[in-house]
Amino acid sequence: MRLAFRDGDRTREVEVSRVAPGRYRVSIDGVVAELDAEPLGGGRFRLRSGEAGSLAEVTRDGARRFVRLGALDFVLTRERAGGARRERAAGGGLEAPMPGVVTRVLVSSGDAVTRGQPLLTLEAMKMEHVIRAPAGGRVTRVLARPGELVNGGAALVELEPAATPGP
Amino acid sequence: MFRRVLIANRGEIACRIAATLRAMGVTPVAVYSEADRGALHVRTVADALPIGGPDPRDSYLNIAALLAAAKRSGADAVHPGYGFLAENPAFAEAVEQAGLAFIGPTGEQIRRLGDKRAARALAAKAGVPVVPGAEGDDPAALARAAGAMGYPVIVKAALGGGGKGMRAVDDAASLAEAIESARRIAESAFGDRSIYLEKRLERPRHVEVQVLGDGCGEAIHLFERECSLQRRHQKVIEESPSPAVNETLRERLTFAAVALARAARYRGAGTVEFLVARDGTFHFLEMNTRLQVEHPVTELVTGLDLVQLQLEVAAGGKLPILQEHVRHHGHAIEARIYAEDAARGFLPQAGTVARARWPRGPFVRVDAGVERGDGVPVQYDPILAKLIAWGPDRARAHERLITALDEAVVHGVVTNLPFLRALARASEVARGSFDTEWIERDFMGGFTALATAPAPDQALAVAAIAELTGAAAEAGAAAPGAPAAAPSPFTTLGGWRLPGLGS
Repeated sequence: MRLAFRDGDRTREVEVSRVAPGRYRVSIDGVVAELDAEPLGGGRFRLRSGEAGSLAEVTRDGARRFVRLGALDFVLTRERAGGARRERAAGGGLEAPMPGVVTRVLVSSGDAVTRGQPLLTLEAMKMEHVIRAPAGGRVTRVLARPGELVNGGAALVELEPAATPGP
Repeated sequence: MFRRVLIANRGEIACRIAATLRAMGVTPVAVYSEADRGALHVRTVADALPIGGPDPRDSYLNIAALLAAAKRSGADAVHPGYGFLAENPAFAEAVEQAGLAFIGPTGEQIRRLGDKRAARALAAKAGVPVVPGAEGDDPAALARAAGAMGYPVIVKAALGGGGKGMRAVDDAASLAEAIESARRIAESAFGDRSIYLEKRLERPRHVEVQVLGDGCGEAIHLFERECSLQRRHQKVIEESPSPAVNETLRERLTFAAVALARAARYRGAGTVEFLVARDGTFHFLEMNTRLQVEHPVTELVTGLDLVQLQLEVAAGGKLPILQEHVRHHGHAIEARIYAEDAARGFLPQAGTVARARWPRGPFVRVDAGVERGDGVPVQYDPILAKLIAWGPDRARAHERLITALDEAVVHGVVTNLPFLRALARASEVARGSFDTEWIERDFMGGFTALATAPAPDQALAVAAIAELTGAAAEAGAAAPGAPAAAPSPFTTLGGWRLPGLGS
């Protein structure tokens, strides 16, 4: 089985197969190893390498996989294996960094903006976040409205970058 | 004693208050917004009433809706918890005008102590040194005052607490935007736009004293709490006693705190916050006229239930204990578990708790507001739970906290558990040598590098095996069985250590 997981900014390619009951061959970014993993139910495993055992558990939440290894936690996101990296929001769109309520929209379609200019404010759990222009350019579309509840990753504003100056 | 007490709050603190009410034979009454219909604080209480929409202004900050619920439920008292309306004088007065007891100070005391001008004046009159500051509505006057006291300054919500709406400002150019932002947050969180400025002291420690007053001029203290481990002015780990306070300083701090509580004729439980400099000089910061998030550390070292004391003062009008009966035993440390991504600017997280398991070791207390399957709504403070460890001395309490943090599991929402585990292991924390700016100054860089490093191959391998075998637990699916023991990562994952963070 070929899989891909996003791990922070990286995409990791993993290939896994069962070689014997409770024994798996795993290739991670091309490096192959064998691993004993005894399923304990509920997404839990006892892993063995040599005589040292360790416990792991995996929880699925949409595309996300919460992985606990010993007492460490990791969050991986399952991606399509072998495919190209997913493109970020097309056309220079700005996404909500978290779910929240749009408190103010400070720009309109057609406005010229400079790098770092506040575009809108988002409030979540009593923290206000100012969404700023990542680069100078022109606002082509404003998708967020004041008072609107948005999900993390929702497109808020679309920007057309200014003509890039030479290096 | 009261028969029924309406808890005007949600989450872990509503659950914690309900526990004491039950133990005292008092019936708890829960309230909930539409976003909290099935929340833990609602489904564990027999009497629960809806109070409005998910926006806090429509529910937990909605005085009319809360009073209507109190009436309907037949409650004879209201406990405000912390946050929301806990320090809103209009709410305290409205509760009393409705013929119910408010479990907290009088509206006038909240107004006076919550208004930093009056609180500072009162502290100064009681002989307590105060931090330089300025207040007012005129941005130009505030800018002049900031210039006069010298940058950096801090903008704070006048009625605030818990660091909400608080902004550090390094120069005159960013003052106006910081004031505007703080005002909006203050209005949404506390229902009042007022803010004030304070001179930012360099590298202070935050030490606070728990007080209890009878409302007639008598007051006692329950020793101090050390709360210097903060990120962006929000406390993350607190303990009692403070490793920075010796017996002489303890006497001076508690004397000052009691003097202020007496001068205010304070009623109920309150906290007097101080900034302590390296040379042991201290300044009054503010008084919090409510139960604090970190109150459990005081409970574990004194053996006293602060919520019970609050109820006894509110019902009986006198202090249920004498100062000489308040004893200090051992050491307690608390860590706050938040739904936030510490490695990415502490961005608040929302979602569903797909898996939750709390530590069960001896001398560990868990105050949790969620269980597996619970939603973490976007509208509220993202605190999920508090872990509090007790030990006969600081070293034992600290070790137990580390073990408790290792044992805790929350999946489905990103939490600050990795941050807390690394923080608790830092050598500065083990030694007790830190100030309120230490986390941001010296800890975050190393932690962020660690947290954004590639996941170990074993993590990817087990995720892949779970996919292959279809074994991963689904959000909301049952995951029966005994809690798994949690071996230390330092023994099971040879070579993968926390660089520079000690062990």
